[in-house]
Amino acid sequence: MNDGTLHATPRWREVALEQIRFVGLRLRREALVAAAVVGIVTLIIAVDIARGSAETWFDSDEWIGIAFFSFLFPFAVWRREKRFGPAFLWTLPVDRRHLALTRVLAGWVWLMTALAFFMAWQHVLAILSRVAGAEIVPPIAIIGATAMYLLGSALVLGLRHPLRWLLGTAGVFFLLGTLNEALGRTTSGQSRMFSSSEVLRWLVYGPYGIDTLLSSGRFHTAMSDATTVWRAHPQLAWATTVILWLLISFAALWAAASRHREQR
Amino acid sequence: MSGVPETFAVATHGLSMRYGRETALADVDLRVPEGSVYVLIGANGAGKSTAMKVLLNLERPDAGRAEVFGLDTGAHGPEVRAQVGYIPESHEPDYPWMTCGRLLRHVAAHYPAWDHAYAAQLVDVFGVRLDRKIGTLSKGETRRLQFVLALAHRPPLLLLDEPTDGLDPLMRNRTLAQLAEHLADSPTTVMIATHHVAEVESLADHVGVLREGRLVAEMTRDDLRRTVLRYRVEVPEGWQPPPELRIAGLRRSPGGREVQGTLVGEESDVTARFTAAGAAVRDVTPLTLEEAALALLAEEGTP
Repeated sequence: MNDGTLHATPRWREVALEQIRFVGLRLRREALVAAAVVGIVTLIIAVDIARGSAETWFDSDEWIGIAFFSFLFPFAVWRREKRFGPAFLWTLPVDRRHLALTRVLAGWVWLMTALAFFMAWQHVLAILSRVAGAEIVPPIAIIGATAMYLLGSALVLGLRHPLRWLLGTAGVFFLLGTLNEALGRTTSGQSRMFSSSEVLRWLVYGPYGIDTLLSSGRFHTAMSDATTVWRAHPQLAWATTVILWLLISFAALWAAASRHREQR
Repeated sequence: MSGVPETFAVATHGLSMRYGRETALADVDLRVPEGSVYVLIGANGAGKSTAMKVLLNLERPDAGRAEVFGLDTGAHGPEVRAQVGYIPESHEPDYPWMTCGRLLRHVAAHYPAWDHAYAAQLVDVFGVRLDRKIGTLSKGETRRLQFVLALAHRPPLLLLDEPTDGLDPLMRNRTLAQLAEHLADSPTTVMIATHHVAEVESLADHVGVLREGRLVAEMTRDDLRRTVLRYRVEVPEGWQPPPELRIAGLRRSPGGREVQGTLVGEESDVTARFTAAGAAVRDVTPLTLEEAALALLAEEGTP
């Protein structure tokens, strides 16, 4: 058999489009649950808007929610997919590392779609509630969510049992926090969990921490002290943080995807 | 001899692989000629499935290399997989939440050579219901779906790992008939790993025998028919076979003057060895593929 009669491998565009469709289908159940939750929350906020007390809905650190959501999103994207060993996915005629990264890209497309819906939803609610500055600054949310998603993807792709690692790590920090609390060493007003570890506190609230990544490090207070929303525009520290986190995320993802590379 | 050099769809060179302390493959040199139906025979754990996974670059050998249509499987994994229709040994469905129809579309998107009309025909022949969720399929239904997935892009090479496993007798016959029809329509090399040799006997034209990771025999069906034979031999009283006559399945008549057994080798050589050992060959009969395979599997292991 000569090269002319051999079957061709698929074009990347075809693979990417199919992976986007595939992930969309896989996330259908999660999307339905999310839509139901959003519907209920919208209803409750609508009641509060009518009562004139909707600003309390914007007083939480939304970035934590988005960060967690983006970090955990890959668990849904790769749910029940055999990633290690001779899995079905790897029998497809596509370079294995490229296929893994294409699946990650497909998940990112759906994450951005979800984020766009969320931002639009919040924007509409902010306008209706007349809470000044309650809008999310899109570039900050998109880049921050992307970095968290890539890290989550690296975890899922790189580890056989990512959830066990995640829960194990969380358990260790929780134990440390509990220990600190018992010893009375927590700082007033600080999260006990975060204060249990300088490393974790630096990771979250340090000059190049997740806080800076997702909020640009400054909160704007509107209407009341309790209302904290994204407002600040990118600045040098934020740009540095973004570059740093994206580099770390991409490196981690590349390393994780490389665990599935072709066996040369 | 035609003088035309034989080309191989699959060739392995000193392929070796271990799982921990277990030897899966030991210095295996497979040669699967293009256009052949090659049956790889071996007991459970003989290394048949591992060999197929190495060919798809799903497993990395500890030593040696493999080629599919001249492509190194390590260096050209995606290109190799584009030439292959693969049925794994496992029946475990990978996407239980998906419908059969959606899985077909998913796989089709990855094979530019996918023949949609042929896929529809296969769906009909194998009785696959496209609206069924994969998670609800039985072993046999999963196997039928796997056949559709493997054949629909008319791959130049089919790697079938225990393909009839899980199929009821009726569907097994229909599947093998469809496979024969496929081979008649599409130029395909087939490599079948199985220990149900009788089921694929009508298709096979080449045979390889793996025993504990070693390729103990590899020959054409005709050579197998010619060289693996059952001998009925008249022997003197108290006769014991010499070590060079390795007889598989040795049976003695009640009087002890006649023995029967299977031997591997050219008939004239074997007959000469019997004569030299003081015995006289009375009858020689050919074996079925399964009987021959059993003899080959037992041959080296016979004490």
